Order: sequence, then structure tokens, then C-alpha cells
Amino acid sequence: MIKGLFDGKRWSALFAAFPEYYIPGFLMTLKISLVGLAVALVLGVVFGMFSSSKWKLLKIISRIYVEFIQNTPLALQVMCYYSVLPMLFSSSGFRIPKFVLGVIGVGVYHGAYISEVIRTGIEAIPKGQSEAAASQGFSYLETMYHIILPQTIKIIMPPLANQALNLVKNTSILAMVAGMDLMYFTDSWGADRGYFAQAYFTSAVMYFIICFPLARLARYLEIRSMRLPVAKKLDIQADEEAAC
Amino acid sequence: MMKKMLSLALTFAMAATLTACGSKAPETTAAPADTKAAGSSAEATTGAGAAGTAAKDVQKIIDRGVLKVGCKSDIPKFSLQNTATGQYEGFEDDLAYEIAGSIFGCSAAEAKEKKLVEFQGVTAKTRGPLLENGEIDLVIATFTITPERKETYNFSTPYYTDAVGLLVNKDSGIKSIQDLDGKIIGVAQSSTTKDGFKKYVDEKGLKVNPQFQEFDGYPALAQALATKQIDCFSVDRAILAGYVNDGNLILEDRFAEQDYGVAAAKGNTGLAETVEKKVTSMLSDGSMKKLQDQWGLQ
Repeated sequence: MIKGLFDGKRWSALFAAFPEYYIPGFLMTLKISLVGLAVALVLGVVFGMFSSSKWKLLKIISRIYVEFIQNTPLALQVMCYYSVLPMLFSSSGFRIPKFVLGVIGVGVYHGAYISEVIRTGIEAIPKGQSEAAASQGFSYLETMYHIILPQTIKIIMPPLANQALNLVKNTSILAMVAGMDLMYFTDSWGADRGYFAQAYFTSAVMYFIICFPLARLARYLEIRSMRLPVAKKLDIQADEEAAC
Repeated sequence: MMKKMLSLALTFAMAATLTACGSKAPETTAAPADTKAAGSSAEATTGAGAAGTAAKDVQKIIDRGVLKVGCKSDIPKFSLQNTATGQYEGFEDDLAYEIAGSIFGCSAAEAKEKKLVEFQGVTAKTRGPLLENGEIDLVIATFTITPERKETYNFSTPYYTDAVGLLVNKDSGIKSIQDLDGKIIGVAQSSTTKDGFKKYVDEKGLKVNPQFQEFDGYPALAQALATKQIDCFSVDRAILAGYVNDGNLILEDRFAEQDYGVAAAKGNTGLAETVEKKVTSMLSDGSMKKLQDQWGLQ
């Protein structure tokens, strides 16, 4: 497989196939990743708040969702959405579009993980702070907005970025059910011509192109959330100017 | 202090396991070498006579004492792995024994008895890379000969000609190839079905424009058909025959006649030559036909 990696003829075959295979695959993976990430974040926030709420019933619902999804493989879940879910609607061959299938697959899976990240983030802030805020007359929402969440974001940013990156990479599971994503077209072209080194190397680069900016963005947000409030800085500058 | 000591102890433990691995590695590589040597000396008596001037790559196989062949494990009559014994049984496996016989200078029955062939289950997707990186010597796995593949692999003369068939669900109401317009046809990755279908439709002047979806492996395709996620399962008829049940049927249409060949890696010209000689001699003396009849093919 490695032998043919530097074969010019194989690379030119790849460039010829690029618009037909890799571009649609890349776009599909990108679309599934972005919409899937949005779905996962919404599910994560909703169920994360459920599990840190005071209502017992909401906690139980959230627990069931998280434990069930976390403890079964994604491949099995996608297979289930692909072949079992359509039967619930009708027995005459109803089909879920591949894009929707991908969004549900990775969205629901990573939603469970993200809800755990958010729950632990909220629980990591000492209870004393909520109590102190209450004693100063803050409402529940004000406490969350001004005191708890700004600190939570700092804590959850790295694991959240992990989940986002894993989500992108996990979209490749769709290849199993002819999901028309990047991995599907990679397998298709690679197997068609037998130029596996070129096919998979290019695919890896394209996944990297999606993941790397996402990782940088997460790092940027993490650093930004650690910055001290800006107002203090202005005061110092004003003092310095006055001193000059 | 406690923490420091603990981490130190852990480091030592890791170093110890690493060195243990390091010292073990040569041993494990040495062990098969010994058995190989023993095997080849046993072979020398039988092999030397037949292949006096063996090519380098063939000699390597003789020295190793075993021919590594990639075969399908899920195709009845062609090559099916017996789940009870783990043995590969079928026409293509017997062909592998025949070829092993001619390499090691014995009969096919002897080759089978002495286990001179080491089978490895391959799929349409894995057979190419396995062959290219030297994991297996030959691929005898319903491997269709195409001009593109000829550039990458060394093919023998075709040993079997098959056609592509169409398997549909009985309750889908699909009666012929014309009903497939706008439907989804599932094909195997790395198969030539798609091009063959288009050519057949063009030749017949039909206006059938289905959508193709590729799957990795035939069980996945059979499952997709059973759950109606695809309308039609289209691969070589030899393979399709293994998936017929009460709920589905194979349509009359057959297209894209294709030839199966034994493939060797591009660099192994000596081996390819030996295989070619064996296959052509089997074709001319009728033993290939006999072998196919024995497995109920054609």
C-alpha cells in the first residue's frame, strides 16, 4: 500500500477523480458536521440542564438518555436508525435521507456526551457561590448568567472541543450505510482503482481541514474566556496616562 | 515525596515492560523462521524436482513452505468458510490447492493434506491492499479482470466467466430491468456492476436510470435489501445465489459477462508465470471444467 504512495500516475488519477468524488463527499461531511454539532449542542444544553435541575423526573429522563447512548456503540445506533427506524413509519420501504440520518446519528450520540460535559461544568462551581449570589438578591437566571456560566465555560471548553472534533470524525461511520460522505467516496474510489494510499491520504488531509480550524477556534474561545474583564485594564491605562 | 516515589516506581515498571517487549520481539520472529526452515527442508525433497529453476519470488514461497491465498469466505460453491471446522471449501479453494501443488511439486490432494495453502478471508475492498503489501501471494476471490486492474495487478487467464444478476424483493413488484428506473441499486464496493449495468441498458436502448449506492460487503447489501433500504441488490450471479430466500428472486436479466482471474502482485512476475501455466494447462486438459462441475457451477 505504501509502495505506490509516490507514484505520479496514481496521483494524477486522484486529481482527475477529485471533483467527482472528493468535493461532494467533503461538502456532505462538512454539512453533517455543522448541523450535527448544532443538534448535539442543543441536546447537550437541554439535557445538561435537566440533569442539574431540581426536578427528579427531568433528572431521570436525562440519565436514561445519557446512559443508553453512552453505553452502546455508534455503529450500532446508526445501523438501527438506518434499517429499523424507517419501519416505524411504514413497512413499504420508507427511507430517511442520508443527510438527516447523519445528523441524527452524530447529533444524538454526541448530545449525550455534551450534556455530561455541561452537567459536570455546572456542578464544578461551588454551591457557596449560588448561595452568596442569592443572599445578595440575585435571581436564578442572574446567578447563572453573571456568576455560574462564565466560570463554567472556562471549565467545559476543552472537553467540549474534544466532543466537536470527535463528532466530525465520527461522521465517517456513515460510509457503512452508503452515507455519501467523505469516507464513502474515499472507499468507493480507493476500492475502484486500487490506489488506496492516495485515496486515504487525501481523505485524511480533508478531515484535517475541517478539524484543525475547529480545534483552533475552541482554543481561542478557551483563552478568551480566561481573560480578565476589560474595564480594569482601561483604568490602568488612564492612570498611566495621567502619570505621564 | 510519596507522589514522587510512586511516579518513579511507575517509570521503572514501564521501562521494564518495554525492555521485556524489546527482548521478546526477536524471539517471536525467530520462532517462525525455525519452523520455516524445517518446512522448507521437508519441501526440498518434493519441491526441488518439479521447480528446479524457480524464480526468486516462487523460491521465497517454497522456502516459506506455505502459499498464502486470499479467498472469499462467504460465497457458497466458490469459497465458503465452514463455520464448524474453519476450513475453506469451494471451487476457488480447490484451484488454490492445484496451484500450490504445481509450486511445491506435488498433487492438489497432497497440498491439501499437508496444508500447504494458508487461506485468508478477503472482501472486495481488502483483497487489493493485502496483495499489494505482500500479506498474501495470490488472490483467488471472484476477482474480475479489467484493463485498469491489469495495470495494478498481474492477472492470469480467466478461469471462470460469470454475469451480473439483479436480486429484488418479491413484494416490490419489480419484474424486469425496466422497472428499476429511478430505484436504488445496491452494489459492492470495488465491483464493476455499475459500468456493466449502464452499458447493458444502453445496448438494449432502454431508458433506465437508477441510483447506485455502494456497500462494504455482501451481508450489508443483503441486510439493506431485506430492510428495503435499497430496491435491488446487484452483484455477480455466483455471489447472488447465496442470498436467495423466500422473500426475494433473481431477475431474468444477465449482463456484463465478466472474467475471473487469479491475481498476483505486479512485482511477482515469476509467481504469475507459474500460475498462468497451471491455469492454462487446467483449461486445456479439461480439469478446470471437471472441477467446476464437481462444485455444481455453470
